[in-house]
Amino acid sequence: MEDNQRRVNFQRLSSEDSAISDDSCEYYQTDIYEHLPSTLSRDWNSIQSLKMLPLCMQEKRNIRERLHQQKLKIGHWESWRRSQRIAWRRMVEQLKGFFSRLLPWKHTLHKIEGRFGVGVKAYFVFLRYLLGLNLLNCVIIALSVLLPSLYIKKGGPHCNLTSKDNGSVLDVFLGSGFLERSPVFYSFYKLKNIDKQCLNTSLLFFAGMVLILLLSFLMIVRRTVVGYKHTWMTGNHFSMNMSYKVFCGWDFCIQDPQAAFLKHSFIKNELKMDLEEQRFRLRVSQRTLKQKVVLFFLRLILNISVLALLGGSFALIYYATIKSQNKLDNVHWTLKLLWEYLPPITITVVNFVLPQMFCVIVTFEDYSLTTQLNLTLVRSIFLKLASLGIYLFFLITYLTTSIQNPETEFGKEMYKLTIFHLLACFCNAFLVSFPRAWIVDKYPSSMLAKKIGKPEFVIPLNILDLVYSQTVTWVGVFYCPLLPAISIVKLLVIFYMKMFTVIRCCAPAQRMFRTTSSSVLFNFMLLLGLIMSAVTLGVNINMFVPGTCGPFMGDSSVFNVTSECVQTLPRPVRNGISYITSEAFAFALILAEVIILTSLVSRGGANRKTIERLKDMLVMCSSDKRFLVKQHATLIRRQRRIAPSTE
Amino acid sequence: MGTAASKLPKDLLSEYQELTFLTKQEILLAHKRFTELLDRGDRQQAFNSRVPMTKVLTLPELKSNPFRKRICNVFSTSDVKDGSLSFEDFLDLLSAFSDSATLEIKSHYAFRIFDFDDDGTLDSGDLEKLVNCLTGETEDTRLTSEEMKQLINNILEESDIDKDGTVNLSEFQHVISRSPDFVSSFKIVL
Repeated sequence: MEDNQRRVNFQRLSSEDSAISDDSCEYYQTDIYEHLPSTLSRDWNSIQSLKMLPLCMQEKRNIRERLHQQKLKIGHWESWRRSQRIAWRRMVEQLKGFFSRLLPWKHTLHKIEGRFGVGVKAYFVFLRYLLGLNLLNCVIIALSVLLPSLYIKKGGPHCNLTSKDNGSVLDVFLGSGFLERSPVFYSFYKLKNIDKQCLNTSLLFFAGMVLILLLSFLMIVRRTVVGYKHTWMTGNHFSMNMSYKVFCGWDFCIQDPQAAFLKHSFIKNELKMDLEEQRFRLRVSQRTLKQKVVLFFLRLILNISVLALLGGSFALIYYATIKSQNKLDNVHWTLKLLWEYLPPITITVVNFVLPQMFCVIVTFEDYSLTTQLNLTLVRSIFLKLASLGIYLFFLITYLTTSIQNPETEFGKEMYKLTIFHLLACFCNAFLVSFPRAWIVDKYPSSMLAKKIGKPEFVIPLNILDLVYSQTVTWVGVFYCPLLPAISIVKLLVIFYMKMFTVIRCCAPAQRMFRTTSSSVLFNFMLLLGLIMSAVTLGVNINMFVPGTCGPFMGDSSVFNVTSECVQTLPRPVRNGISYITSEAFAFALILAEVIILTSLVSRGGANRKTIERLKDMLVMCSSDKRFLVKQHATLIRRQRRIAPSTE
Repeated sequence: MGTAASKLPKDLLSEYQELTFLTKQEILLAHKRFTELLDRGDRQQAFNSRVPMTKVLTLPELKSNPFRKRICNVFSTSDVKDGSLSFEDFLDLLSAFSDSATLEIKSHYAFRIFDFDDDGTLDSGDLEKLVNCLTGETEDTRLTSEEMKQLINNILEESDIDKDGTVNLSEFQHVISRSPDFVSSFKIVL
């Protein structure tokens, strides 16, 4: 009875203040707690590495001594095995150290981390990861696409390109003229046989592209799953929001006093905001019906306006795409450049303006602050990927109906998107952020400076930018095989430009950013981009009739390369392949997947139940323990009281 | 740089490598930084002398850390509990905060740092001190007592699994293990 009451009291410990803590204080200090087996030092397992022990150096030494003596007692075989294990562990550590030293920019990232915290560093780590990914893609392309084409001299028929030279500078920006005939674009590659059978450059080309998409897919899925496991494995059912913020709140990497001060205020604001949010939720549950109805209509109207904005921007992109395809011929070259770049410019402007408007709109919707931020982010993600998707859709429908060599045209458009993205980043860094920071630094008291303030480094939007550029690379890689190489250069430039912006221009963002929850989101966004590009590529291959250029010319479809190859294989292999690609096999596969999924889901459910039960048991055990300790303490006290009286 | 006497012997170096998460370069750098903290006279015997806490706190890596005093106290093996560090304590500190230390070890030391009264559990007093360290010590940066009460209630409700009113080590590690952020932010690199 009493025990039960105590349990309830402890749940609301601080609401009832000190009545209990005074009382508990007494028996917490009873000796028995120090003699509990769990608090006594554990018998450290010898298999564990010594450095894993949370002990000071001298104690580690003592343990090692003991282990040595043990070793004398145990047989040769066991001691040999132990020493082998230690040697192996050392080698693995050294290898790890070696590979981690290969990663570039460690020192730079450390510096950024020290000034802006982990969140901003996550952006740069993500950038570095994309660089690695593109490097891998480049290697694959060099081996499977570039080398065979350059190495084999005798080639197929020459292809005639329709576009004409525009002068070298303009060519670099437009991807026309000499650039169109270079290995950068699809039309450079020709059908060349390597041996008599099916092995030819087009097959290698196709295999390389498929390999790139598959490898990227595997790598990103792996990264997403790792993050996902951390965040949601068990976290979904037990919210640990506040505990995280308090226990993992401080960023120990911070060295700059200014940054430390900012961090203090971040944490304070965040905690205050969370508490406020809790109270907000309480208020929400007390809303009257009338308020709810009004709010519902308000949100409906605002959502419709968001949709209208999205629709408007898509219409804008549509017009820009259609208009820019009607080439202007006899105008000044700058105007021509601008005209050709109309779709990328439109997309970039839309993506720059609309997120700001979403930020304003969301404030009227009366959501809690986190929901506001997430809603804006989700809307921005949708906008970014959808605008690119819409653009691709219009482009493909236009190209399939009216152009002779749609592949190279498509590659050129992707090339232009990539180049323009770089230009936009450049302009943003040096024409927007830098002047803003300069004005604030130079005239800190002026009206203008107070109004605009220093730019903030908004991590989600910047990451979104990277995802967008990577998606463009994946979409374009089939028709512009050197696009990964170009984006490596681009990412390098962006890295240094962003570093300059962050260090020189930016004030740290007012809102903290958690890498945990976001890294899943980033990788998920990247996955969406990859899926989008794979779909686009599939549609393209089906829609575009191979023209007079490129490695697949003359065939009715790209997939013919593989079917021709399959024909040359021996009969049993052919039968096997045709079975694997048939519906019967797909049915069996789906069935197997369903069975595996069902078993996993039920296992998950069982685990959840076990966790609940274990938690119950823990509560019971601990209350029992407390009860026993209290009994013990009273017993001892009584004994002591009796002892002097008997003397 | 240091004189010949203050150089690290090779066998000691490899021993440190075995007992800590630090690489050879990091140990050498730590040794250099540590001897710089010592008085000129003590530099000859860097292994036996301790650096007082006030000196250690002048390191830029610790200077703006609100837990700096707790860190020194936790890692100090001094008998008088004054927070002074010997070179090996210093290495222990760096090892726990190094890049390659495991979550297990980091969370263990984090728990000891946050356990202000050294009684083996985080009770509401510890949590209050912890929150105050996080938000800043001055009057106007602190949370109001009402907010503090709400916050501590929340924390205990979330992470005090066995409902005894305190957060013990395993409960603490349970919370921490779900946050991969923690490993990357619980880090002090020279």
